[in-house]
Order: sequence, then structure tokens, then C-alpha cells
Amino acid sequence: MNKYQLYKLLRKHEDLKVKRHPMFDKNRFMKFLMIFMWLYYAAILIFMGVTMAIGMKGAYNGVAAFHVLDGWFPIVLIIDFWIRFVMQDTPVNQAKPYTLLPIRRSFLMHVYLIRSGFSLGNLYWGFMLVPFGLIAIAVPFGWIKFAGWLFGWWLLCIANGFCYLFVRTLLAKHMAWLVLPVLVHGAVIAAMVLPEHNWLDMPCTALLNSFANWNILSILAVFAVIAVLYYANFLLQNLMVYNEISKKENVEVKNTAKMSYLNRYGQLGEYLKLEVRMKTRNKTPKMQFVMGIGFMLFFSLMMYFTDAYSGGFMKSFICLYNYIFLGLTTLIGVMCHEGNYIDGLMSRRESIYQLLRAKFYFNSFLLIIPPLIMLPLMISGKMSVWMNLGYLFFTVGVIYPILFQMAVYNKDTFPLNQKITGKQGSTIQQILSLVILFLPIGIEKLATLLLGDPWGFILLMCLGIVGVLTHKIWLKNIYQRFMVRRYTNMEGFRASRNS
Amino acid sequence: MNIIIQNLKKSFGEKVAVNIDSFKINSGEILGLVGNNGAGKSTLFRLILDLIKADEGTVHMTDNTRDINVAETEEWKDWTGAYVDDSFLIDYLTPDEYFQFIARISGKDPKELEQFLEKFKHFMADEIIGQKKFIRNLSAGNKQKVGIMAAMLLQPQILILDEPFNFLDPSSQSAIKHLLKKYNEETNATILVSSHNLQHTVDICPRIALLEHGVIIRDIDNKEGQAQAELEDYFEIND
Repeated sequence: MNKYQLYKLLRKHEDLKVKRHPMFDKNRFMKFLMIFMWLYYAAILIFMGVTMAIGMKGAYNGVAAFHVLDGWFPIVLIIDFWIRFVMQDTPVNQAKPYTLLPIRRSFLMHVYLIRSGFSLGNLYWGFMLVPFGLIAIAVPFGWIKFAGWLFGWWLLCIANGFCYLFVRTLLAKHMAWLVLPVLVHGAVIAAMVLPEHNWLDMPCTALLNSFANWNILSILAVFAVIAVLYYANFLLQNLMVYNEISKKENVEVKNTAKMSYLNRYGQLGEYLKLEVRMKTRNKTPKMQFVMGIGFMLFFSLMMYFTDAYSGGFMKSFICLYNYIFLGLTTLIGVMCHEGNYIDGLMSRRESIYQLLRAKFYFNSFLLIIPPLIMLPLMISGKMSVWMNLGYLFFTVGVIYPILFQMAVYNKDTFPLNQKITGKQGSTIQQILSLVILFLPIGIEKLATLLLGDPWGFILLMCLGIVGVLTHKIWLKNIYQRFMVRRYTNMEGFRASRNS
Repeated sequence: MNIIIQNLKKSFGEKVAVNIDSFKINSGEILGLVGNNGAGKSTLFRLILDLIKADEGTVHMTDNTRDINVAETEEWKDWTGAYVDDSFLIDYLTPDEYFQFIARISGKDPKELEQFLEKFKHFMADEIIGQKKFIRNLSAGNKQKVGIMAAMLLQPQILILDEPFNFLDPSSQSAIKHLLKKYNEETNATILVSSHNLQHTVDICPRIALLEHGVIIRDIDNKEGQAQAELEDYFEIND
């Protein structure tokens, strides 16, 4: 078999991996929904592209719309970078099944790195950039400039993709590497947002302008950056594959806290211990927690030090987001981690009910973190105490009951110790996330409009308290509905356990 | 407790995994389940444990006072212990923590757990308790031991073990045979064991069911160890 044939075979395997994923294999509706969501996001990007092109036209003292966007292009790349965590796999993981076969490792790495470079994902922003560029560049400045500008964006997305691969591969080694992108992106955002005028505006605009003018030096410079990132990835991925094969995990358990103070709660106490241990001993849940705290700190600090989020809507949004983020990231996939040992749980009486209760108490307990983080904002008067109280209770008593409904429908096992989020959320999870993000603000705004401030928040608080007081009833209901669907769910958990 | 299977059918697509008209496993019996790969042994266990949905038919657990359809209630879980594969294990716990977890949710006090572990001391061979290792870091054999012990920990009236001799070293295989026999004698528990090891199955099971394409084709009396020849003949071991 020559290299081209081998390449075609590897490509075929990649395609089959997607096509035969247990979630889609027997589910046409899910396939349809995924295509629908893909098109839905594409439509949003097109809409954004068109509205930005029209909206920015002449909005900034006659500066061309594309200069405004170009000045902020690192923000797009930062969003692109983080979105990749749920969309893109690393060559190490892709190559792992082949490492013991007689295929040169370097060949595998080149195949997967080149494929990731030419991935269609790097063109996805085109849904926003093409309509934007057509209106803001092609019409007033000509097609050649438009093509150059678009080509430059594509190169930047490729470079960004390689940066992501590098960081994600390091993250598989140790979570502390998360600090690297957080610091870099934090610094970039700070340089753009903190000063009166965006410090990066000039260099960013100049760079994309040079692409638009087909400046060969700029293009070569980006090619050189891509080449360096490619080679760095090649070395790192090669090394990591070798580490994976010869990996000898440090098996000594350090954290063996007995948590005997939970013994007084009987069975429930045992499931609480299980929940704490699950969160603290497995990479994926640990990473979700760290990222949640990171996001909370980031937005709270931004709010504290800048006026970037001082608008009423953004203030509410950030406050709410800080409360629900941890719950949203973990409860949207509630039971998915337990899919790894679902048979053991299901062979114990009412274990799922006790587990759901433990999850509710544990996640409610975690809500002491957001008010601590936002305390300076409350003290400085940038955020009201009523808002915090309203969202705190609303999260526990209304948002959590909504999120816990996923326990009935989730049937895809999430790996406990793979990457950050090895699997993309299902469509129902994505839709629910959007509902959760915007529903409370809508209710609060409506209530404030009708009742005035702070009565909107007091209403949210009252709604939440009702949910808290009735938690045993709705948790029991979820458990009973889970039991009705148990065969379907267990089958799904088993099928996706090692996929 | 008796296990009564009636008109039990399960197919995966075109393939019939289990098709049993009627079968009764009597209280206090040790039943061995043998058959080639894909014969339906694990599927039958999962159906008995209500872990998969039967296309047709029922599994009942009965005694003088109770008659329970396993698909309709969870009551039977109080007296049934099982280990089918490592999806029964919570692998981010240490074995100590896992046993404590099972013991406490089953209402056993620490002293009972201690006594239980003492009985299995030889079987564990100093490689399980107090090792400061997560279950996921144990060898396949030691994981198997943890699973078997956890199934026996709640002192079940019905014990179901799928391939319990897999991954175990010869002395552990011998130990588990003795432990199962002794457990059956002491508690009169109903024990179901599937295995590809004919010798072990014949050694401990007075009754052996031979499964082929989901159907129990032979129900062999093995009180005097007479099943050996019949099974060797079926599996063409000496040809």
C-alpha cells in the first residue's frame, strides 16, 4: 500500500467514525437536528456579517467598516480558539489506534496535522466574513482586495487552529497548561479593552489591510508562523503519542479524605461522597470546574475594572452567568459521567434517586462561590445585592430543576478522563443551554418592568424558594421518569461508553 | 429464592440473543451457564438483572411469600448481588472506599464489613485493601476480585456472576470456587455462574444449562459430576 492509498484509508476511517457514532447511527432525527443546528449557526453568522457591515458603515467617524472589524480581529480568534474545544480532536487521539500498526508515526502526524489545517472548520467563519466582506470591501474597494482580505483571515484561522492543537495537547498532559491561553487571551483582551483606545487596533488593521493589498511579505510572515506552529505541533504530538504508548500512570492515590462528617446522612451521605470524589479525581469534571471558576473570575474582573459590561442587560447577564455556569456545564450532561458505571448503579435500589439528590445538594453548595467572587462588585455598588439574591435562589430553585430534567434524556456516556470535553453536547443540551442563558433575564426584565426594581429580583427569589422547598418532589418525579426510560438510556450509555 | 423465566425473548436486529420458553432456577441451587461466544449468557444475565429490556416474556423472583417481576419493581435489588463486567465498578474509588460505599448503601455496619473482608483475606492476597490505588489502576484480575466481592458483600440471596474465573490466577480461581461453594452452603443462596472453563463449572455447579443461540438446549444434572463428558462432547474438546 502506497502513502496515498494509506492516506485515503485513514480519511475513510475518520469519516466512518463520525457516521457510525452511536448517537447518530440509528437516529435520523438526530442527524437532521445536527444539520439543522449547523445551518442555524451558519445563518446567525451570515446575519452578523451583514448587520455588522451595514451597522459599522460610517459609524466610527467615517472609518471603513472592515477597518473596525479588523481592529478587533483577535476577539474573533479568541472565540474561535475556545469553540474548538468542543469541535476539534487532536492528532494524538486520532493517531492512537494506529500507533501499534506498521505505519510510520511521523506519517500519521503529518496526515492529521495537514487535515486539521485544511479542515472545513477553518472556513466556518466565512459565513460571517464573506457577506461582511462582500458589502464592506468587494463593493467599495474591489474583488481583489476582498479576496486578499478573506485569504488572510483563512490563514489566521489555520494558525489559530494550530495554536489550539498545541495547547489542547499540553492540556492532556496537565491541566495547569490552561493558564497559558487564559493569560495570553486575557492580556490581549486587556490591551484592547482597558486603555481608552484599543492598543491593538493599529497593528491588527495594518495586518489585514496588507492581506487585502496582497502584500507578499505579510503573507509570507503568516506562512512562516503557520510553519513554526506546524513543526512545534509535529514535535509535541509525536512526543505525546510516544508518552501515551509507554505511559506509566502515577497510581499512588493522594486524596483519600474519608469525609466521615457525611456519614450522618446515611445513604445520601455516601452518594455525596461519590459526587465529591467524582469531581475531584477525574480530569474532565475537574477541568469543567476550573474553567467555570476561570470564566467567573474573568467576567467579574472585567466588570470590576472596566465599564465594558456596565449596561443593564450585560450586568444581569454576567451575574446570572456566574451563578449558573458551574451548574450549566455539569448538569446539562447530568448522568453522562455516571454512564461509565451505570450497570453498577442500576443494580442498587433507588440509587439514581439518591444520586440525583446528592447532585442537587452538591451543586447548590457550590453556589457559595459566585457571591464570594462578586463580593467586590457588590461592595463597590456595581452590582446589587438583590440581583445576587434573586439569581442565587432562581438558579437553585428554577434553573436546576430545568437542568435536572436532562437526567431523564441524557444517554451518552462522557469519558471521565479524556481531554476537556471529548464529546459535543447533544442538540437538546445545546438548546436547553440557550434557554437557560436567556430565560431568567427575560423573566427578570418583565418583572422589573411590571413591578419595578428590586421587585423583579424578589420575584425570582420567591420562585427559587418554591423550587428549593419542593426539591424532593421534583427530583422524585425525574427519577420516576428516568426509570421509565431506563432501558433506552442504559443502552445508549453502553453503546457510547468506549466510543 | 427461585428464578422463574417465562417466554423470555431478546433479539438484536436479526440476531436472536435469548429465546427461552420456560426455565426455573430453584432456590439454593448453583447453576452453571455454558455456551460458545455469542450464545447469549451475558444477555440472559442482563435480562435477569433488568439491565436490558426483554422483547417478550418475564423474569420472576419468588419464594414462599413473594412473587416479583424484576421489570416492575426494584425490591429484588435488596437481595440480589451481581458482577457482569467492569461497568459495575466505580473506578475512581479505591477498593476500600468502594467496599465502604457498597456496605453503607446496603445497610451494613463497619464491623460487618470488616468481618466480610477478613473472610476474603486469602482471596485478596494483600493486593487490594490498603493499596492506595484507584480501581482503574488495578490489574484486570484484581478488578475482577473487587467486582465479585462487592456482589457478595450484601450477602445476597441471589448471586449472579458472569465469567468469574476470567483474569484470575490459578490460586484465585481455586479460592473463588471454594468461596462460592461455602457461601451457598452457609446461606442457601441461589447462584448463577457463567463460564468458559468447563472444569470449574463442573466442579461447583450441580446443575448446568447449555446455551446455544439464545436457547437452553440442554439442562444437565451434574450432582455426581457427570456433566463433564457431555460438555466435552458438545464442545468437541477431545476430537
